[in-house]
Amino acid sequence: MRADTGAKEPYFWNPRTHEFLGRTASSWGLILLFYLVFYIFLGGMFILTMYVMLLTLDDYKPTYQDRLATPGMMIRPRSEAMEILYNPQDTESWDRYTEALDIFLAPYNNSVQVQNNDDCLPDNYFIQEDSGEVRNNPKRSCQFNRTSLDACSGIIDRTYGYQTGQPCVLIKLNRVIGMLPGKDGQSPYVTCGAKKEDADAIGELAFYPPNGTFNLMYFPYYGKKAQVNYSQPLVAVKFLNISVNTDVNVECKINSNTLTTGGERDKFAGRVSFKLRITSSNN
Amino acid sequence: MIKNVVLQTTHFFYEKKITKSIFYLQDSYNMFEMDGEGKWNAAYIPFIVPFTIGQFLQDDHEITIEELEMRYTTSVTKGLTSRMASEVLERDGPNELLPPKGTPEYIKFARQLAGGLQCLMWVAAVICFIAFGIEFSRGTLGCFDDLYLAITLITVVVVTGCFGYYQEFKSTNIIASFKNLVPQVKIWKYRKCMVISVCILGQLEANLGLYLGGCWESEPQSKTPECTHENPLETKNIAFFSTTCLEGVATGTVINTGDRTIIGRIASLASGVGNEKTPIAIEIEHFVDIIAGLAIFFGFTFFVVAMFIGYAFLEAMIFFMAIVVAYVPEGLLATVTVCLSLTAKRLARKNCVVKNLEAVETLGSTSVICSDKTGTLTQNRMTVAHLWFDNVIHAADTTEDQSGQSFDQSSETWRSLARVAALCNRAIFKPNQESLPIPSRIVVGDASETALLKFTELTIGNTMEYRERFKKVVEVPFNSTNKFQVIHELEDPLDLRYLLVMKGAPERILERCSTILIKGQELPLDEQWREAFQTAYMDLGGLGERVLGFCHIYMNEKEFPRGYKFESEEMNFPTSGLCFAGLISMIDPPRATVPDAVMKCRTAGIRVVMVTGDHPITARAIAANVGIISEGSETIEDIAARKRIPVEQVNKRDARACVINGGQLKDMSSEELDEALRSHPEMVFARTSPQQKLIIVESCQRLGSIVAVTGDGVNDSPALKKADIGIAMGIAGSDAAKNAADMILLDDNFASIVTGVEQGRLIFDNLKKSIAYTLTKNIPELTPYLIYITVSVPLPLGCITILFIELATDIFPSVSLAYEKAESDIMHLKPRNPRKDRLVNEALAVYSYFQIGAIQSFAGFTDYFTAMAQEGWYPLLCVGLRSQWENVHLQDLQDSYGQEWTYAQRLYQEYTCYTVFFVSIEICQISDVLIRKTRRLSVFQQGFFRNKVLVSAIVFQLLLGNLLCYCPGMPNIFNFMPIRVQWWFVPVPYGILIFVYDEIRKLGVRRYPGSWWDQELYY
Repeated sequence: MRADTGAKEPYFWNPRTHEFLGRTASSWGLILLFYLVFYIFLGGMFILTMYVMLLTLDDYKPTYQDRLATPGMMIRPRSEAMEILYNPQDTESWDRYTEALDIFLAPYNNSVQVQNNDDCLPDNYFIQEDSGEVRNNPKRSCQFNRTSLDACSGIIDRTYGYQTGQPCVLIKLNRVIGMLPGKDGQSPYVTCGAKKEDADAIGELAFYPPNGTFNLMYFPYYGKKAQVNYSQPLVAVKFLNISVNTDVNVECKINSNTLTTGGERDKFAGRVSFKLRITSSNN
Repeated sequence: MIKNVVLQTTHFFYEKKITKSIFYLQDSYNMFEMDGEGKWNAAYIPFIVPFTIGQFLQDDHEITIEELEMRYTTSVTKGLTSRMASEVLERDGPNELLPPKGTPEYIKFARQLAGGLQCLMWVAAVICFIAFGIEFSRGTLGCFDDLYLAITLITVVVVTGCFGYYQEFKSTNIIASFKNLVPQVKIWKYRKCMVISVCILGQLEANLGLYLGGCWESEPQSKTPECTHENPLETKNIAFFSTTCLEGVATGTVINTGDRTIIGRIASLASGVGNEKTPIAIEIEHFVDIIAGLAIFFGFTFFVVAMFIGYAFLEAMIFFMAIVVAYVPEGLLATVTVCLSLTAKRLARKNCVVKNLEAVETLGSTSVICSDKTGTLTQNRMTVAHLWFDNVIHAADTTEDQSGQSFDQSSETWRSLARVAALCNRAIFKPNQESLPIPSRIVVGDASETALLKFTELTIGNTMEYRERFKKVVEVPFNSTNKFQVIHELEDPLDLRYLLVMKGAPERILERCSTILIKGQELPLDEQWREAFQTAYMDLGGLGERVLGFCHIYMNEKEFPRGYKFESEEMNFPTSGLCFAGLISMIDPPRATVPDAVMKCRTAGIRVVMVTGDHPITARAIAANVGIISEGSETIEDIAARKRIPVEQVNKRDARACVINGGQLKDMSSEELDEALRSHPEMVFARTSPQQKLIIVESCQRLGSIVAVTGDGVNDSPALKKADIGIAMGIAGSDAAKNAADMILLDDNFASIVTGVEQGRLIFDNLKKSIAYTLTKNIPELTPYLIYITVSVPLPLGCITILFIELATDIFPSVSLAYEKAESDIMHLKPRNPRKDRLVNEALAVYSYFQIGAIQSFAGFTDYFTAMAQEGWYPLLCVGLRSQWENVHLQDLQDSYGQEWTYAQRLYQEYTCYTVFFVSIEICQISDVLIRKTRRLSVFQQGFFRNKVLVSAIVFQLLLGNLLCYCPGMPNIFNFMPIRVQWWFVPVPYGILIFVYDEIRKLGVRRYPGSWWDQELYY
């Protein structure tokens, strides 16, 4: 047996010495005060360094764009799993798609576009450089009129072809500041195809605007602060006679003489894949 | 079959006339037997056991020889029959000690995999597997990350387990290889004889002096056939296995063999289970418990918080797992093992071999050393220390290398005395040792004659040749043990007188003298000279030295002409009326390095207690000589003598020193012994038995000391085992002692223990630094998760990255702290109190976690937010972004500039953040390793580049960090991204802050010792 002199002192609250967890009130006070000062100092230093760092940032253009060499592509209507499944006879099943498209296309209404944006010269970059220190802000944007989507504009056919089994899918290119997606006046364009086994099922496609081009006049993008009314160019794909009751895996990609599609790891850089399945009971 | 054993002097190789069946008992295992022709039988054959008995303590020593013969069905004169002997062998097996049972290898390995922290890691891995299983069945993208993490975790546990196992294996191997250095057991067997292990000396022939060997009993113990004590351990008619026979002849009957001998039992007891945990093992266990507890506490808290906030159960489980991974210092145990084994290697170079790695640190916390005298404190070699002639005491040189002062050798008396000493001596050098320095040559002869031979060799030159010049006529060997005389012809052929020289116990020699040599003149030996002799004899005796008297006579050439027939039996020559030449006294002198070492122990707050079998006076003299009893310290007896009062009236507390002999110790209760140890700081135990050594050790431990004990004999093993650290002697030690010990001194030198203590203290300090370094980064590893869960920013630091910090980049720097030099003279501090001075104390943990760790976390977040902001994600946008950021279907998430990011782009950005956070921790850890170099001194005082290993560790850490960042392929394998160079510099201000802050802390600690600052911030 150990002849421990101190016996077992209660640790949590020692009534003899008035110690709570091994410290008296004044000891606790002192140590807490120390940490308060310490953390205020540290926090202050953190805020200071953050502030200095933020000062170095440009409000209009990010310092680096290391991750954005190839812009991502996305489709509308978009669902959780990149699938468009519906039955033309069942209005309920496609209603949400057309609604989503309506909402998405509302800012592209010609009236809005004419009001906010310029009618630019096609096939040329719409460059609005700052002259030295003087910011040339706000920057103008070019009109992307809803009507240019023609059959997929939702104006003529308010169901975007969903009711007739000829659905429209809108493709957009992710916005990246300063990106110039083509040179020598060649606008990038979208092509779509089916994965090998579905090649027969995809049928004919129609692209709007013609050839599925993203016209150069919509580039470069100057950021949401400088170019408040920027209208992202769109390409609509209309599946004219897609096979029903089969899964069709469609892959669309950008064709450009400056952009490459992303590597193995990024399935959405410069391309986009989605599944389309139209079910039909009375075939 | 023979079971009677004759014990002969160990100088057997020079005794030619040996009859059959004579055994030489030298060491525990080195038993030799010679055949009738005096040739060695070179066959190596394991022991054969004659027979054995079952009981440990029995009455074999008390019964008569006839009863003994009955009991063992043997004959004292003829021994066992062959048939009986082989039966016994079959029954009991060979006469050898079984090696202690080792733990099976697979259990050792399994233990490495199932430690406290490892178990936590297993739990984490299982959680990952479950998460993977669930996500996989749901078909979630990216579920394979969990699988990879699980596999990584298991790999980590297995790899660190293998490493630990390898370290353990290596340290056992060091011990095994050390065993090979020690002469191995060699058994020589002749015909059907066997070697004894324990014999009863019931049949002693003639006058037997059987000496129990080793350093323990430096005074030989004579053995007699009579039972002198009811305790078999104390009685004089039992000789134990492993004792050394120095002189004499005996016959005995074997009563026990192998593991059934007392030594066998001691050895098996000593090697048995119930190994007490070493202080460092307790420390580490204590620490691991706290860490594991905190990890689970934090993990569970955040699990609950996450559930409360509304995360799914699975996600909350993954948070729990991630916090465990971040909080557990995976590399710590490896670091500790490496640090300890480095020190063990360093110690091995300084002649201390550590058998158990943890013993290194135990040595450092030692507060009492119980040391043997002979061989440890002393040279284990009788040496002439003083001479008395011409009525003056002259001091001889007793240093090991003969570097001391010599005395005046011009006197005529000295010449005569030297002649007597040279001629009246049977000891001879073994041939072919001319190249060796005289003190280390091997001599055949007893201890005092050896001392005299070496002394004359050193002072008058070639003694062997000198003896040849004086032809020996007759020699009268020790007719009583007290004197020895020789008659020689003189070297001058014209002088036809004979010279008789004699040496022996001084008072016996003086009786025979009628004259005394003073300055070459023969003066009558009157009362005055007798008194002078008495004074000198008492003085020398009081020094604890063995004193011999020398005298001579030139015989009348008429009465004893040339060719006179001297008869040694009848003594037809004068044996009285001789001329007294002088006294020579001998002692086993202390080793040169010991007084310094004892002094060092004293300043280091370590008590040195001498425990010896020697005579109290000798013990005390040596103790005073080496400083165990310091100058001016008095014993109770001294005070009584000074004040002229009876011993009983002396206040015991006044006496600093105390010499207790075995007899007194036997009568003391344990409380009395404790009291004696408490009240007298300087203790010497003389005439003690090995059992008493154990009692002394236990008493010291009761007083709360960490006790180191030295020992060499087998019977020391219990004390060695009981001690917190047992130290066996590498040269003189028996195998059993080495087995029981934790550490072995290869040079048997006490000073090496002190070196060991110094290293032990250093490693404790350095481990503290190393652990502080290792702990610090757990906070910057943990805070990213806390912020991730509570503020929902994209994850700043991944699990795999954490594992890289723990197990790759930070291992080398933390090990390099083991090479750090001591900050101050650690040998001027008191030994640490194992109950109060913990390895990981509150101040260390709090300082590492809440101060340095906090700064590192801020550094990490600064760099993280910088990398995010510069890529387009402002800090305020990051807050609450988690669910969108991690949504794998969201391919166009907008950043602060309106740019849209795909999931993969965001993921790579997240990896960039991991890397940036990793780099921040690395930069801060470089600063951390620099500040950890010292706990009190400024780093400028310690020197930045003095620890070369640490510098190279920092370089290595940076190179490895760069490799991880910029090696192609890293992003997809280990989630490291090639980050922009400037992000390496964002945490630098915080690194500088850490350094400056710690310098301020140290300055405060140095300037205001004992202040609030010192108490709260010194770890």
